[in-house]
Amino acid sequence: MSKPLTSWPTALCLALIGAVSLASGAPAAPVVITVLDAGGQPVANAAVSIEVTGARAQAAAGTQAEMGQRFRAFVPSVLVVQTGTAVNFPNFDTVRHHIYSFSAAKPFEIKLYSGTPASPVVFDKPGTAILGCNIHDRMAGFIHVVSTPYFALSDKIGQVALDVPAGEHTLQIWHPGLGDKQPPERQPIKVAASSGARLTVRVGVAHQP
Amino acid sequence: MKAGSLALDAIPWRRRLAFRLVALFLGLLLLIQVFTFALVQRSIDHNARALLASSLDLGEQVLRRLVLQNATHLSESTRLLAADYGFREALSSGDTATLVSALENHGERVGASFALITDAQGNVQASTLPNGAALAPMARQAIQQTEANADVASPGAILPMGKQVMQVVAVPIRAPLTIGWVIMAFPLDDRLARDVKQLTDMRVVILTQTPERGWQAALSLLDEADLQALLAQWTPPTATPPTRGNRLLSFELSGGPHVAQLLAMGPAQQPIYAVMLRSVNEAVAPFQQLQWAILALNGFGVLAFAIGSVVTARRVTSPVSTLTRLAKRLASGDFSAPIPPHGHDEIGALADAFEAMRQAVHEREDEIRRSGLTDAITRLPNRAGFSAAVRDAVQQALTRQQSCAVVMLNLDRFRHVNNVLGTDAGDQLLRRVAQLLRDDLSQTAHTVARVGGDEFAILLSPGGVEEALAVSRHIQKGLEATIELNGSSVDLCAGIGIAACPQHADDDAALLRRVELAMHHAKQAQTGHAIFRAEMDVKSDAALSLLGELRQAVEQREFRLFLQPKVCLRTGRVLGAEALIRWAHPTRGMVPPGLFIPFAEQSGFIRQITSWLLGESMRVWRQCADQGLTLQMSINLSARDLIDTELPARLGTLLHAHGVPASAMCLEITESAIMDDPNRAQQTLAQFHDMGVQMSIDDFGTGYSSLAYLKRLPVHELKIDRSFVMNMHRDAQDAKIVRSVVDLAHNLGLKVTAEGLEEAAAWHLLAQLGCDIAQGYWIAKPMPADQLPAWAAAWEAPTAPLVQSDLAVST
Repeated sequence: MSKPLTSWPTALCLALIGAVSLASGAPAAPVVITVLDAGGQPVANAAVSIEVTGARAQAAAGTQAEMGQRFRAFVPSVLVVQTGTAVNFPNFDTVRHHIYSFSAAKPFEIKLYSGTPASPVVFDKPGTAILGCNIHDRMAGFIHVVSTPYFALSDKIGQVALDVPAGEHTLQIWHPGLGDKQPPERQPIKVAASSGARLTVRVGVAHQP
Repeated sequence: MKAGSLALDAIPWRRRLAFRLVALFLGLLLLIQVFTFALVQRSIDHNARALLASSLDLGEQVLRRLVLQNATHLSESTRLLAADYGFREALSSGDTATLVSALENHGERVGASFALITDAQGNVQASTLPNGAALAPMARQAIQQTEANADVASPGAILPMGKQVMQVVAVPIRAPLTIGWVIMAFPLDDRLARDVKQLTDMRVVILTQTPERGWQAALSLLDEADLQALLAQWTPPTATPPTRGNRLLSFELSGGPHVAQLLAMGPAQQPIYAVMLRSVNEAVAPFQQLQWAILALNGFGVLAFAIGSVVTARRVTSPVSTLTRLAKRLASGDFSAPIPPHGHDEIGALADAFEAMRQAVHEREDEIRRSGLTDAITRLPNRAGFSAAVRDAVQQALTRQQSCAVVMLNLDRFRHVNNVLGTDAGDQLLRRVAQLLRDDLSQTAHTVARVGGDEFAILLSPGGVEEALAVSRHIQKGLEATIELNGSSVDLCAGIGIAACPQHADDDAALLRRVELAMHHAKQAQTGHAIFRAEMDVKSDAALSLLGELRQAVEQREFRLFLQPKVCLRTGRVLGAEALIRWAHPTRGMVPPGLFIPFAEQSGFIRQITSWLLGESMRVWRQCADQGLTLQMSINLSARDLIDTELPARLGTLLHAHGVPASAMCLEITESAIMDDPNRAQQTLAQFHDMGVQMSIDDFGTGYSSLAYLKRLPVHELKIDRSFVMNMHRDAQDAKIVRSVVDLAHNLGLKVTAEGLEEAAAWHLLAQLGCDIAQGYWIAKPMPADQLPAWAAAWEAPTAPLVQSDLAVST
């Protein structure tokens, strides 16, 4: 699916700013994670998060994110947010949409609307919500909710760069192929204070161009 | 018809041109048609097979399409259910009771046998049937089928279920990713079979195999018997899937042979076959109709061709037959009818050629006939040509109520010219006469012809007796002029006969005969010309009655013998008498011989008269002899008597019967009578001479006497014609002739008798000239025979010459 690339760096920046500003005490070290699929190809749009003990699980009050609809598609198609984030669904199309989610993480629906709905949807539980539009069957969007401030989406070459406090943490990787029923893949990660961490992770998902 | 020529009717029909043409054409046509029919038959057979095969293909496609259409229809309606927001919400919320009720409701609406909902992995979540879990394999097959045909329409899975065959479709439930499947199953039922039948005219049977009961029909429109027959003949294909080659099967059902296309429908483990049946008879029925139509067309073609060729052959051969008939008519000599034109084709050209031939032959024949009708010497029409002209003239005269007349002339002494001067001179003479006649008649339309050796005839049409008389006088006048021939001068005269139609005859043959009779009469009587009288013709009524009267005259003894004495000029004695006949007619009195002798000569009655004369003369001679009077009886013979070969014998018999010596009889013959047929006359005369009968030339000096003949003829006497004697004592020339004749006769050893002695002076003169015998009125007129003895007794001859000095005859 084609994605409007103009918008997602903005979101990435917001997430990084949030992660840096909320880091507690310990000095942060750079962590670079490369996500490859079973065939060794880079996987984009994989949600990479690192659970750091002691870090805040809930996002600060008022934290907001946005998943718009443009040209009858969700933009961005994959959105990672921290628990408690309020997500807006502005409609940039001239037609109206009726977005819904039957996912257990966050069932909701916003019936036929234009522009930005008055109240955003607050994602208060970790998990995955798959979004659809009741009018346009082809539209699909994913909102992955994590309980850590350290998270990012892999880029085109499957890389994610995070500044994480040194220590032993848990790495979680989710990608849309896992749907809303399967949990993210988890593995421990050790972040050295001096060098940080550099890690390549293989996920059981077929290559998605 | 000649034996060798072929009559058209005799040609056997097998050899006739028309039959041959028709047979040839028909044979060729039939050959072509048989060939064509065989080709068409082959083509039809081929086409029927191809059509059958293609219709089976079509049937298969139709069946596939119907099944697919069914599936599509069901999928679409199921897809609506799967897309329903509430339905998806119920599924998300795990509200199974609601899901089942929704399935039941929808399944009922679309006529599904059962409906299932599975999760994305195919595990049954809800079912309209109680044993939902058992249906999971079917559901999975349907899901696989759908996923395998994601981009195209899928017929779903065709699966057996009990006795039935199910079409199972699976539709994904998306939210928006596939979170589950709705499975709907429908039985393949009679409706499908009926649709196939309606669309393709094929019957479909769907066979399934169950472990318990073997092969059986899940779907069939066949009746029970046909179905059993089909199952009995059914062998499942060995190859899986069946190749195209062995998908074509044959079945013998109640409707005749059927071919079948096999369509494998089920999964490999559970084979389901759709058998598409097509009746061969139904498939080839239209072709059979076509064959019949072609046969009928061929038959009609043959018939039309037969009629056409018969007509054509007739058109060719019937003119040939006509021409053959016409040619035969030409062969038989009938050239009159022209051959009608036969158009502009070859037959026409043949007919034209025939016509040209006919004209040419006709003209040549005309030419031949013309030459046959023309006399070569005079260039005048000959007798045949003249006869034709007379025939036309008579016909014309009778139809137009006119009259026509014929003048016929016979040249006297022509034979002598021929004999003496040669035939060239004779021919020249004839040409001169022809010229003369032609010149005389140049201004009229009369026809001049040469009808015999020395005979000419002139037809006056129209013309009567008066014109004919004028013509004959004209001719006589023309003939009076002396004709010079090779330095000799020839005096011509002719006997001319005249007869007219209808006055004397009412047909051409009679007219010609009668004019000839008249001509002979004229010659005999030396009258120059004679108009026909009925008694001249022995065949005329008048002549017949005259003949009857003559016969009666013999029977009734009406003839009388008159005798005129002949006296010796020297001694005065009565030497003999000339026998003359008189007819004492009961009503007409004495009839002079001139009135019946010519007729008797023509009719042949002269024989009886001659016989009578001979017999009567002999009887009288006997009487006289008995009285001591010995006489020589002179009897005239006609030309006819001379050619009567029996006369000498008859004469002999009479002489013997009357006891008369032959020398007592003297037969008098005229020169012209001898000349009619000199050879036969000479033979007869020779016979008389041998018998000892005396003979005399009568009327000597009047004919065209030939001294050569005179020398040869066995005669004893010459009788100088009365014309010389009557005037001899007044005409010195006549006297000289008489003396010359007497001298001639005496030199030839013949006696001389002078006729026509009517004065005493003549007696003495004749005596002085040395004439032997005299006869005439001065001595005695003819008298009844019985008076002769008395007269002879009383006769006294003059004793002395009366006027001797009157004679101017010098020696």
